[in-house]
Amino acid sequence: MSDIQTTSLDEIRLYAERHGLNGLPEAQFARLAELAKTVREAGLGVRRMPSEENEPAHLFTVTPRRAAP
Amino acid sequence: MNKPSPAASFATDSTPLHYLTVTEASRLIGSGQLSPVTLVEAFLARIAALDETLHCYITVTAERALAAARTAEAEIAAGRWKGALHGIPFAVKDNYYVAGLPTTGGSRLMLDHVSTTTSTAVARLEAAGAILLGKLNTWEYGTGNGGVYHDLPFPVARNPWDLERFTGGSSTGAGASVPAGLAMFSLGSDTGGSIRLPAAACGLQGLKATFGRVSRAHCLPNCWTLDHTGPLTWTIEDNAIVMQAIAGYDAEDPSSADMPVPDYRKALHAGVKGLVIGYVRDLGPGGEALDAANAQAMDEAAALLEAQGAIIREVRLPAPLAEYRSVTKVINWAESYSIHEKDFLERSALMGQALREKMMAGFTVRAADYLAATRLRRTLTAATDALMASCDALLIAGAFHVAPRFDEPETITPFTTDTATSVFNVTGHPALSLCTGYDAGGVPLNAQIVGRFFDEATVLQVAQAYESATPWRARRPAL
Repeated sequence: MSDIQTTSLDEIRLYAERHGLNGLPEAQFARLAELAKTVREAGLGVRRMPSEENEPAHLFTVTPRRAAP
Repeated sequence: MNKPSPAASFATDSTPLHYLTVTEASRLIGSGQLSPVTLVEAFLARIAALDETLHCYITVTAERALAAARTAEAEIAAGRWKGALHGIPFAVKDNYYVAGLPTTGGSRLMLDHVSTTTSTAVARLEAAGAILLGKLNTWEYGTGNGGVYHDLPFPVARNPWDLERFTGGSSTGAGASVPAGLAMFSLGSDTGGSIRLPAAACGLQGLKATFGRVSRAHCLPNCWTLDHTGPLTWTIEDNAIVMQAIAGYDAEDPSSADMPVPDYRKALHAGVKGLVIGYVRDLGPGGEALDAANAQAMDEAAALLEAQGAIIREVRLPAPLAEYRSVTKVINWAESYSIHEKDFLERSALMGQALREKMMAGFTVRAADYLAATRLRRTLTAATDALMASCDALLIAGAFHVAPRFDEPETITPFTTDTATSVFNVTGHPALSLCTGYDAGGVPLNAQIVGRFFDEATVLQVAQAYESATPWRARRPAL
């Protein structure tokens, strides 16, 4: 996942290159920039939990290994 | 492909074989009045006659189905009837793997993929004697951005109630095939509504069970923590029959729940007397998009259930729809991107616009935002579950709009986004899309019945009470 902070076309191109996206047709960079803006706004729009005890829904759990029969 | 003899085309004086329900066909097969071979031949003939128009199927497995039908016939003749699904023809969305068969995911990226494993759901249905007719059309990889761009390797499925209308996605073929009589039931998958939206658009009963109730093992994943698999059927009793076969723990699915599976038909006809049904009549902000016809049908459903003895209480969701939707979007973008990153980075040119744009969105999601969404998800789930604890079931809108027309493309995406379906992907509660009639143009209406965790039985019971008291199952598309 990225730390993208800007959606200018130049930054999007650099970001794509940095993260291995090569060969995207030039015409699609503008759409990628638009979507990056949409995603950033959606992400920042997610209400933040007030406490560090509000853990993510999908937690890592472990189960003890069963003894061989 | 063999054609059925004319004498075999009708199971009764008035019902063609392809319009029998699972319940009806099962009774006839079990009593020796209907041959599974005759039944499968009737469906294959129906597919041959109509699928050029409807585009439900990506792959038809005619010879495999006929061989299975002959085996079923021999087993039943030998007194080894397996139960309600023995000899019943069905089809699955083309993101369920079946060993030896192609699984395309509706994508150019998988056109030469042949599966080496079989999805647990299909394996369980086949073990129960059901007969796979083929693999059904789907949005690419069972996902997208909500739009339909007619740029995939298979033609877009058509809604049998009106061929100029969308079927709902992403389980497009699963929605179109059953009302048209091209499958007796189907399996779809649902990340934000993809079982329930095609069910809504195509006039079916579609159940997204509790997260973990139905195995997702050996299906092409879209979003690990939101994906569900499940049935689309003509009747609620058919849904209960299919659920009986596919529900239950599966060690091959890391999210599978080790919970007992009840007899879904035991209390199916018990009625709703004394049940408390929370009616989310006021959806809050965003709810104003609900079509008047869907709203009126839902009011009538509440009144009908009340007349049967249910206690109807108006309730509200504990958070705005927008909050559930924001959680769904961010989690869906991020997890889906993680699954398909390699394809996106290396072969995005082969993707259709809908999938490519979803991948583009996932490419830019921040980790902090994804985790914020998963943290908010836990809070929303707890609050919604507290609401569920106050009632036996909820009645709430599903798809806000009727199936949109292809020649009005600006209405396609709102059909997918203006819903209350993704609420229950976020929380994991069981939710069923119920056909609540037809609008003035004959296009299906819908609402959702939602239950407590692992209480699909009550969801089905409430839905059955409604279905039994309404005439909607007597109507089929004019094809």
